[in-house]
Amino acid sequence: MSLPSRLRTPNPHLGAYYGIVTSAFVSLIIILAMFEQLGWGRTLLAQSMMIVPLALYLVIAIGSRTTEVEDYFASGRRVPAVYNGFALAAIAVGGVGFLGYTGTVFFLGFDALAIGLGWTFGMLLAAILFVPYLRKAGSYTLPSFLGHRFRSRTLRMAASVMQLAPAALLVVAEIKIAALIASLFLPVAFSIAVLMLSALIAAIAILGGMRSLTWTASAEFIVGAVGLVVVVTTVSILLTNLPAPQLTYGEMFSSLQNAEITAGLTPVAPGGLATALPGTPPHPNVKPFLQSFGILAPMDFATLFLCLALGTAALPSLLMRSGVTSSIGEQRRSTAWGLLFVALFVMTAPAMAAFAKLIIFRDIALAPASSLPGWLIELGDKGLLQVHDANGDGAIGAAELFIGRDGIALALPSAAGLPYVLTVLMATAAMALALAAAAAHLFTLAASLAEDLYRVLDGRQTLPRLIAAWAAIAASALAAAVFLLIADLDPLKAALTAFAFAAATFFPALLLATWWRRCTKWGAFAAMTVGFTVMLGETVLGGVFGFANAGFTTSVASLAGILLALAVGVAVSLYLRKPSPAEDNYFDDMRDPEGETIYDRAQARAAAQAAAQAAAAEATPVQ
Amino acid sequence: MATELPTNEHPARDRHQLQTVIIAIALSCTVLLAVFITVFAATSLNHYGFLHFPLGFYLLAQGLLVFIVVVAFWFIRLQERIDLERSESEGLE
Repeated sequence: MSLPSRLRTPNPHLGAYYGIVTSAFVSLIIILAMFEQLGWGRTLLAQSMMIVPLALYLVIAIGSRTTEVEDYFASGRRVPAVYNGFALAAIAVGGVGFLGYTGTVFFLGFDALAIGLGWTFGMLLAAILFVPYLRKAGSYTLPSFLGHRFRSRTLRMAASVMQLAPAALLVVAEIKIAALIASLFLPVAFSIAVLMLSALIAAIAILGGMRSLTWTASAEFIVGAVGLVVVVTTVSILLTNLPAPQLTYGEMFSSLQNAEITAGLTPVAPGGLATALPGTPPHPNVKPFLQSFGILAPMDFATLFLCLALGTAALPSLLMRSGVTSSIGEQRRSTAWGLLFVALFVMTAPAMAAFAKLIIFRDIALAPASSLPGWLIELGDKGLLQVHDANGDGAIGAAELFIGRDGIALALPSAAGLPYVLTVLMATAAMALALAAAAAHLFTLAASLAEDLYRVLDGRQTLPRLIAAWAAIAASALAAAVFLLIADLDPLKAALTAFAFAAATFFPALLLATWWRRCTKWGAFAAMTVGFTVMLGETVLGGVFGFANAGFTTSVASLAGILLALAVGVAVSLYLRKPSPAEDNYFDDMRDPEGETIYDRAQARAAAQAAAQAAAAEATPVQ
Repeated sequence: MATELPTNEHPARDRHQLQTVIIAIALSCTVLLAVFITVFAATSLNHYGFLHFPLGFYLLAQGLLVFIVVVAFWFIRLQERIDLERSESEGLE
């Protein structure tokens, strides 16, 4: 018989285990730094720095493998708040955030702050609006929660189908970032890297489900945080003599502005969201770092912020982790820890971008086009930078320096003249977060396919529960890998579209489901469908007819979809029948902070009934 | 004839739900308002400095994030107190 989740205690040795993981990783960095000085080749250094952590994640996943359903889908409901915070932060930031956000701040400066602010506020909204109620409901997936809340299989299946868009976009975006890093630093082609990393995250998810995802994501978060802190702090000490990059990069602004003026950067006029976000291919930087609202007008800034905030609050991969801690209070605390870690990253990314921009523009201003600094040539060889003296004046201006958005964070250690081991450390950190996020999105997608579509459609339950989940994970990982091999996508834009989908599809439905007793099954269904349809229309029609260039952008469409979905959800709920007593009771139960999760209670009741029936059958004398 | 007022069967539950709604709306709107005011006043705020940063930039890059983190931990304390009050009241009912 399983214990109530409040009575389950987490492993008391977790602190020791992760202390060992941290110490081992720091030791690896120190040892490889020494070996670099002793003459080890770059390939060997990169292989050692990147493959050892990958092996560690696999070992952790094997160690936390499970075939218990509750462990597999909810990590046994005994994850301590801080560790769930690690996993939440790793999923929210991901490799796309690590590289894409830093690169976007490099290109847009002030205007890009809307993205980080949106993530952070979104985590707060999730903690206040949804997380405690999802924890009390205890459902394993977001569609399952909606299905139980409204006693509707149709709604559950519809939510599962609509969840495909954001989850699939995020899976492919994160795998692409991880594979790009692997192909830059390891002797493997991009296609091989995609296949290997897809297999790795599928293996992690299959071995232990949410349990192995939690413990590998904690290790990946530690690797990501250590890598980021070591590199950025070292650069900060070199440039400002102080080891606090978040507080000291403001001192560099006057030097940065001088370097930008020397490189020929002049203030730009707002051009709207459509063309604002920098793409993946290397392109010149056109906007001064500190110019406020140079590319995004204040209203565009607010729109982007709000879209990302609401998308983060309703992101299925984050909300799916709402059932893994031992109580509602613990779940709230874990979201606050996750929020704290995300905020620390969001504060650090502009420091990285400012340092990188200062060094790059200062160095190209000092060097003639004929003798560029070695790091510039080295990054050019990796395809992260392209330099071309187009006007033949013997100097490189900002318009002649083409920079890859996702390569800024990776270029920082080289540009600052740090040992190669720190460049690989930065890459390892970014890959760790990309893998954590990719595995979480993959599991969200596949678990929902297995639990909310297959188990509902196949009444006979031909496949056992875990085997259905394993098959869905393997098929989803294969589909993501095949997609990446045949299609090209911009990871940051894919991620932003995914957040917009999550916001329009799930935010209104969840808001009505958790905060409005009168909301009905058809109201929630209508809200989800309207939000999803608006986003689908914008994505498909925007691509076909070029609406994006006319300013009909993803974030605006997402916000319009949310408002429309809320209005339709309320109208349909009021027009049709009142909620049933069962829906009313579920609403009250969900908002009661005391007691076991609703799902676990239902499972225990079902198990007790089955046991009673079996006992009765045994007691009946055979005629 | 005096009409009988309907009696509230769950006063602790209803008080808890009302307080929860008020906290959720108040905190969300406070942060949202702070962000919007800062965004639309950022250009003016940038004329002032803080820790070598233009103030508008600083608030959007760090100040508001610190504020959001503080609000999150404060929300947890408030909500736990309200939850505890409900548990105690229901224990007495």
